[in-house]
Amino acid sequence: MLQEAQSAVSGISGADIATAAKYVAAGLCMGIGAIGPAIGEGLAAAHALDGMARQPEMQGALLRTMVLGQAITETTGIYSLLIAIVLLFVI
Amino acid sequence: MFEQLAELLTHLGEKRIAVVSLSGFEIRFDIMAIIMSWVVILLLVLLALVLRRGLRQPVEEKPTRTQAALDGLIGLLKSQLADNFASERLAIMMFPFVSTLFLYVLFSNWLGVVPYMMSPTQDINVTFSLALLVFFVSHVLAIRFNGPRRYLKGFVEPYAFMLPINLVGEIAKPLSHAFRLFGNILAGTILVTVVMVKFAPVVVPPVLQIFFGLFFGGIQAFVFAILAVAYINVAVEG
Repeated sequence: MLQEAQSAVSGISGADIATAAKYVAAGLCMGIGAIGPAIGEGLAAAHALDGMARQPEMQGALLRTMVLGQAITETTGIYSLLIAIVLLFVI
Repeated sequence: MFEQLAELLTHLGEKRIAVVSLSGFEIRFDIMAIIMSWVVILLLVLLALVLRRGLRQPVEEKPTRTQAALDGLIGLLKSQLADNFASERLAIMMFPFVSTLFLYVLFSNWLGVVPYMMSPTQDINVTFSLALLVFFVSHVLAIRFNGPRRYLKGFVEPYAFMLPINLVGEIAKPLSHAFRLFGNILAGTILVTVVMVKFAPVVVPPVLQIFFGLFFGGIQAFVFAILAVAYINVAVEG
């Protein structure tokens, strides 16, 4: 009753609120979901650099393993991206 | 606001869906993805046919330019991909498959940079079929190398109650493999499109295209191929 009265005054319907919630959820999803992969990829790069500085002759193998590890770390970020895309465009 | 975003989505390559009815079943095809896949395939075949002319048989003292360049490419692929295989036999057997996969994904990613073209890999169905291909190849190889008995026994190791976890792990591999490529390419395309349509239509998009299209496309193609190598290795070694 109160809500109906409020929406009649402000002109904001439930669909508008749902749309706004979608955008907020997509933004939060990407923002929070990017923290973990960022830290993880940074750690991988830092330790690979450590190893390269200590043993420059191992650079090729270290670079390859680093890229592979970062790609796997990135997966969680990609999942949150997919959820954000689903929130924005599909639902 | 939502209409604008929906309009933006149409810029990302229009979806033209073809529906084929087959005795009650409806099969849907995304025409653009199929056409772009064929463009990539034709590009690769044409390149192979054209570049083959520059080769000399037998290999002489002084190779032609294309020969030297192709030697370099094959050497790079061998050192980056083939050396990661568990055994020499596996490497000889699977190197053509994995390098072809790499070249296909690389050209697919780079096709998105060409105007009026779109990457076939920004369609989930394309990446998923590639990932399923790797999945089936790895399991068939595992059965061939280890025999059906050891292959089945691998699912109940270390304990029998681990079976569901092992099964979920096997299913998650092609899923994450496909989503990784799809998500990366789609994210790059969305970002470039948003910048192009909303903020800066002139100078900035090419720079972003170079970064997201060429650089990330190359990295993701390499990651896709090397993950295929890793999955085949894990499946064969048990």
